[in-house]
Amino acid sequence: MSPPVAVIAPLLVVLFTAILTAVAHRSLRVQRALSVLGGVAYLGAVAYLFARVKAEGTLVYQLADWRAPYGVTIVADDLSVFMLAFGSFVGVAALAFAVVYVDEVGQRVSFHPLYHFMLVGVTGSFLTGDIFNLFVWFEVMLMSSYVLVVFYSGAEHTRAALQYVVLNLVGSALMLVAIGGLYATVGTLNMADMARRLADPAAFGITTLAPVLGLSVVLFVVFALKAGIVPFHWWVPAAYRAAPAPVSAALAGVVKKVGIYAIIRLYFTVFAPADLGELALPGFSGSGPLAYFGPVLLVMAIASILLGGVAAVNRDDIDDLLAYSSVGQVGFIVLPLALAAFGIVAGVDAPAPYGDVAGVSGLAVLGVTAALVYSLNHGLAKSALFLASGAIYDATGTSRLDRLGGLAERAPVLSGGFFVAAIGLVGIPPLIGFFGKFLVFDAAAVAGSELALGGALAGAILTITYVTRAWNRGFWGTPTEVVDATRTNRTQVAVVVVLAIAVVGVGVAFDPVLEAAIEGAAAALDTQGYVDAVNPDTTTSATSGGGHA
Amino acid sequence: MAVNLATLLAVVGLPFLAAALTPFVYRFLGERTAYYAAAVALACLGLVASLFGTHGAVSVEWIPTLDVSLRFYVDGLSLLIATLASGVGVLILTYSGAYMHDEPGQAKYYAALLAFMGSMLGVAFAADMIVLFLFWELTSLSSYVLIGHYQRAGPSMYASRKSMLITVAGGLFMLAGFLVLHAVSAEALGSATWALFGDGGILMPENAAAMQTALADQGLLVPVLALVGIGAAAKSAQVPLHIWLPNAMEAPTPVSAFLHSATMVKAGVYLVGRLRPLLGGEEWTAAFVALGLLTMTVAAILAVAATDIKELLAYSTASHLGLIVAGFGFTSFYGAETGAFHIVNHALFKAALFLVAGIVAHEAGTRALNELGGLREDLPITAGIAVIAGLGMAGVPPFNGFYSKEFLFKAAWEYATVHEGVAFLVPVVAVFGSIFTFLYSIRFVAMFFGDKPDALGHVHSPPAIMLGPPALLATLAAVVGIGGVTATFGVHLEPLETFVASVIQATGGELGGGAHAVAASGAAGAAAAGSEFTYHLPTSRESLPAATMSAITIVLGAAAYTEYDALHARLDELISGPLTANYYYDGLTDGANPFSDRVRNAVQTRRLRTYATWTLAAFVALTLGAYAAAEVTLALPVGELLPVTPPKLAVWLVLALAGVGAVMVVRANSHVAGVLTLSILGFMVAIFYILSKAPDLALTQLVVETLVLVIFLLVLDRLPAFYGNVTRSTALRDGVLSVAVGATVAITVLLATATRPDSIASYFVRTAYPEGGGSNIVNIILVDYRAFDTMGEIAVVSMAALSIITLIALRERGETQ
Repeated sequence: MSPPVAVIAPLLVVLFTAILTAVAHRSLRVQRALSVLGGVAYLGAVAYLFARVKAEGTLVYQLADWRAPYGVTIVADDLSVFMLAFGSFVGVAALAFAVVYVDEVGQRVSFHPLYHFMLVGVTGSFLTGDIFNLFVWFEVMLMSSYVLVVFYSGAEHTRAALQYVVLNLVGSALMLVAIGGLYATVGTLNMADMARRLADPAAFGITTLAPVLGLSVVLFVVFALKAGIVPFHWWVPAAYRAAPAPVSAALAGVVKKVGIYAIIRLYFTVFAPADLGELALPGFSGSGPLAYFGPVLLVMAIASILLGGVAAVNRDDIDDLLAYSSVGQVGFIVLPLALAAFGIVAGVDAPAPYGDVAGVSGLAVLGVTAALVYSLNHGLAKSALFLASGAIYDATGTSRLDRLGGLAERAPVLSGGFFVAAIGLVGIPPLIGFFGKFLVFDAAAVAGSELALGGALAGAILTITYVTRAWNRGFWGTPTEVVDATRTNRTQVAVVVVLAIAVVGVGVAFDPVLEAAIEGAAAALDTQGYVDAVNPDTTTSATSGGGHA
Repeated sequence: MAVNLATLLAVVGLPFLAAALTPFVYRFLGERTAYYAAAVALACLGLVASLFGTHGAVSVEWIPTLDVSLRFYVDGLSLLIATLASGVGVLILTYSGAYMHDEPGQAKYYAALLAFMGSMLGVAFAADMIVLFLFWELTSLSSYVLIGHYQRAGPSMYASRKSMLITVAGGLFMLAGFLVLHAVSAEALGSATWALFGDGGILMPENAAAMQTALADQGLLVPVLALVGIGAAAKSAQVPLHIWLPNAMEAPTPVSAFLHSATMVKAGVYLVGRLRPLLGGEEWTAAFVALGLLTMTVAAILAVAATDIKELLAYSTASHLGLIVAGFGFTSFYGAETGAFHIVNHALFKAALFLVAGIVAHEAGTRALNELGGLREDLPITAGIAVIAGLGMAGVPPFNGFYSKEFLFKAAWEYATVHEGVAFLVPVVAVFGSIFTFLYSIRFVAMFFGDKPDALGHVHSPPAIMLGPPALLATLAAVVGIGGVTATFGVHLEPLETFVASVIQATGGELGGGAHAVAASGAAGAAAAGSEFTYHLPTSRESLPAATMSAITIVLGAAAYTEYDALHARLDELISGPLTANYYYDGLTDGANPFSDRVRNAVQTRRLRTYATWTLAAFVALTLGAYAAAEVTLALPVGELLPVTPPKLAVWLVLALAGVGAVMVVRANSHVAGVLTLSILGFMVAIFYILSKAPDLALTQLVVETLVLVIFLLVLDRLPAFYGNVTRSTALRDGVLSVAVGATVAITVLLATATRPDSIASYFVRTAYPEGGGSNIVNIILVDYRAFDTMGEIAVVSMAALSIITLIALRERGETQ
C-alpha cells in the first residue's frame, strides 16, 4: 500500500509556501500572490485530508518509511482533522486580512514566510504522532510568533514580546525536561507506543509508572502556557495587543487551540490508560493521571473564566478586552475537559448521543465534544473580533473605546460583523457560540457539578457585561471625530463578514459539525484504536522486525 | 384537526425573511416600510387564524444527532400568545407609520420589529426546549436593539444593556433548568428528550406523572422551579428583576407597547403557564404566588411613585404580570382562569394605554404627569380610549380588567379558606396591591380631565393612523367588558369564552387531582367537565367574598385618591437608595468597572518578575503535588559517586566548580561578572560530557557556550551597567523559588533516570549501520530516523535569521504603527 500522501500534504504545502514567499521577497506582488495561493492550496489540502479521513478512518504516514515507533509518525485521525479544519480556515482568513492590513515594508521583509511557518508549526502539531516531533513544531510555532508579536518593534511591542519570549523559553525548557523524562521512564517517543507501554508497563520492562504523573504535569505546564490558562496566562494580554491584528487573530483563534489539542491528545489518548494506583493526596480520588488532572483543570478553568471575564469588563482598548476575554473563554474550553476527566475516573455515563460512542464514559465524550465545539466557536468568533478591531484601527487610527463611538452609524457592515461575532461569544442561539455554551452547561449538568455550572453561568454573565459595554461605548453613541472620518477597507470588512457568516452558518447547520466533534472526541478517547492505527512495532528488544519495509 | 407544518413554518419563518429583506424594501418604500411590515404581520395573523381549531404537534429535523427538532405545538395557550404577537403587531406597525415619521434608523427599526415578531411567534409555538430557548433569546436580542434605538442617547444605551444583562442572563438560568429536565427525562421516560410536546414530550399528559415522580425522587423539583422561575421572572419583570422594564421605556413608544407590555414580557408568564401542569404543586404555589403578589404590590406602589406616564405604565405592566404569575401560581381552577383571562385583558388595555401615552407624548411634547391635564378638550377620542382602557386597568366593573381580577380574588380567598392561618395574608395582600393599581390607573386617566396647565399650549390632534390602533384595542376591551354584563343575563361572548377555556386547559386547569387532572388538561377539543369558562358580574353567593374585596379596593382607592399627590410625593421620597433594586444593579455594574481594574492591575503587573514567579511557583506546586500523589520513591544516586576514586574525583571537582559558579552568578554585581560566572557553569557541563564519554555533545556545548559568552559581552557593552536594587524580602522569595524550581527539576531528573525500560534505542544501535549506513548513531538519528525533526529545527534556525533581519529592518518603524 502506498503511503497516504494526503496526510503530509497540508504540511508540505504550507512549508513550501513559507519558503517560496521568503525567496520571492523582491516583488511584493509575486510574494503576496504566492502567499494567498499557498493559503488556498493549504485549505484544499486540509479539505482533501478531511474527506479522506472521514471516508477511510485514521490515516498514518511513516516518514522515510521508518516503521513506528522508530521514525517519526504522522497521524491524521478524527480529532486532528477537526482541529486542522477550523484552524486552517481561520488561519487563511487572517492571512487574507493581513495582505491588505500589514504595511508593505513589513510584508516584504518577513511577514509572509513567518506567518506560513507559524501555520507549519500549527499543522505539524495537530498531525504529529510523536512527542519529540511535537516539541519541534512547538518551536517552529513559537519562533515565528516571537517575531510576529514584536513585528511593529515599538517600545510596548518589544516589552510584550520580551515577556512572551521569556515565559515561552521557560516553557520550552520544561517541555524538553518532560519529554526527556518520559523517554527515560517509558522508553519511547511515539505517542501510540507510549500509550501502549503505559497500559502494559511490565511487558516493556518498565518497573514503575510513578514518575509519569509528575512528568506529565511538567508537560502540561507547557500546554497550559501555550493555551493561556490561569495561572499561566500572563503573556496573553500584552502579546495579543502588541501583535498586528491578523496575528492576534491567528494566535487567539488557532495557536491557542494547539495547547488545547495537545492536552486532549496526550492526556486523554496517551496518558489516560496509565494505572498509577489510588492517588495519595487529599482532595483527589481515583487512580489514573486524569484523577489528578480533573480537579486541577477544574480549578484552573474556573479561575480563567472569572479572572478573564472580570478583567475584560473595564478595558478601554478593544484588543485588550479581547485578550482578557480570550483568557476567560479558554476557561470555557478547559472546563468540560475537567468534567470529561471526572467522567473517566468515576465512570459517569451520559445519554445519547454520547454514551456508547467510544466504549468509554459518556460524560468524557460529552466533555471533549464540548471542548472541541467551544474551540471552534472561539476560533471563529475571536478571530473575527480581532480582525474587526484591526479594521477599525486601520479606518480610525485607534482601537480605544474612549476615542471611538457611533461606529454603527459610520461603518454599519463592519459593526454588524463585530456584533454577530460578539453575540457569538455571548452564546445567543442559533450561533455556534450557543452550542458551545450549551454543551459546556450540559456537561456540567450531567456531571452534577454545581461548581462547574455556577462558574459557567458567572462567566456567561460576565461575557454579556463586557460585550454590551464595548458595544455601547464603541459602536453606539454619537460618532466621534475619528469615527466621522472613517473609511473602511472593503477587503478587510469582507474577511470579517465571512467569519461572522461562519459563526452563524456553523450554528444553523450544526448537525454535521456536532457529528465531526463527537467523532473527534471518540477518537481522542479511543486509545486502543489509536494504537492499532499506528501499529507500532512490538518487537523492541528482539533481533528481527521493524526497519525499512 | 391536525396541525399543518407548512403553516407553522411559514408563520415563524415569514417575519424573519421579511426582516432580512427590510433594508432593500426601505430603499424603495422609505417610511412606508411600516405598511410593508404591517402587511407581513397581517399575513402572520391570517396564518395564526387559520390554525384556530387545530391542535397537536409537528416537527421537522434540525439537529438529529442531539434529537433537537424544530418542534411546534398548537393549543390554546400558544394560539393566545401568537394572536397577541401578530395581532398587536399589525396595529403597532401601522401606528409606527405615523409615529416614526422623520425618525432615524427606520430600516433597522422595522427589521428588528419583524424579527422580534417572528421570535415571539417562535416562542409561542416552540415545543422543543432548545428551540424555545432559541426564540426566547432572540426576543431578548431584538429587544436590546430596539431599546437602544436612539443609539446616540446615553439613557437608551444604559437601558438596552440593562435589559440584555437581565433577560439574557435569566435565559441562561432557564437553559440550566431545561438541562435538568432533559436529564430527568432520561430516567423518567426511558430516553432523554428535548421535546415538550409530540412523541415522548415531557409535557405530554401520559408522561407527566412519570416526570413528576422522577423530579420528586431525585429532589430536583425545587432546583428546576428555581432555575426556570428565574428565567421567567427576568423576562416578565418580576421583583426584584423588574428594574429593566421602566428603563426599557427609552425605546420608541410603539416598541414599549408591543414588546414591553403586550408580548415579550408575556414570554415569562407564558413559560409559567406552560410548565404549570408539570410542576404545579405546593412548592410551585409557594414560589409563584409569593413572587406574583410581591411583584403586583411593589410594582403598583412604584407606579404611584412614578412621575412619567410611560414609567407609570411600565411599573403597571410589571404589576399586572405579577398578577398573572400569582394566578398561575394557584393550583385551583380559579388560578388558571386568572392567568389565562388576564393575559388577554392586560394586552388589550395596556397596549391601548401605551399608544395613548405615545399620542400624548407626541402631541403634547411631554410625558411628565404634573405637566399634563385637561387633555380631553384637544384629544377627545384619545380621552375616551384612555377611560375605557384605564378603568379596565383599575379593575372597575364592568370594564374588562375587573373580571380577571375577580378571579384572582376568588383564587386568593379560596386558597386562604383551605389553608387558613397565615394564608389569609394572600387575599389581604391582593387587595392591598389592587388599591395602588386603582390609584395609578385613575391618576393616568386624570390627565385628560381637570384644568389644562398654561404651559401646555395647544395640543394637536393625532393623525388617524395613530388613533385607529388604540381605538380598536379599546373597542375590543369594551366588548370584553360588555360581554361580562350580558353574560350576567345569559348572553355569553361564546368565541372568547371558548378560547379562554382552551387556554385554561393548556395551563392545566385545576391541578392537584393527581394524574387524572393532568390527563384532563392535555385532552384536546371540547372542555372536559368542570373546566368550562364563563365570566360575568358577581351575582352568586360564592362570588360574595371576591366582590367584597373588589368593593374594598375601589372604596379605599377612591378615598386614598384625594391624597394622591401627598402619597406620590411621600413614596417618591421614600423609594431611594438601598430600598430599590436599582441601587444594587447600579452598584454591581458601576462597581464592576473599578473592580475589573483592581483585579487587572493586581494580576497583570506588567512585570516579568511577577509573571515568572507565579509561572514557576505553579509549576513547582503542580509537579511536586503530582509526585506526592503518585507516591514516588526517590533514591539519591550517592552510591554511584562513592567511594571517591580518581575518575569519580573528577566528577566531584566538576560538580564543586559548577556549584561555586552558581553561587557566584547570584552574587555578581555587574552584567559582565554575571555572564562570566554563568559561563563557568556552561563549561563545567561540557567537561561533564567529556567525562561521560560524549565528545560530540561536549564539542557542541563548548561552541555554544563560547558563542553565547562572546555575544553577551558584545551586547552588554551597550547596556547600562546598573543592576536593580533588590530588597531583602524579594531576594529571599527569589531564593526560595529558585531552590524549589531547581529541586523540582532535580527530582524529575533523578526519577526519570532511575529506571531502565526496554527502549527504542536498542533498535537504533542494531540498525544504524546496516540500515542507516553510518556508525555514529546520533548522526543517523538526526539525518535519517528522525530527519523530520531536523528539518523542523532547520526551519527554526532560518526563522531566527529572519527574525534578526525583521528586528533590524523594522526597528525604527515602531512608532508609526
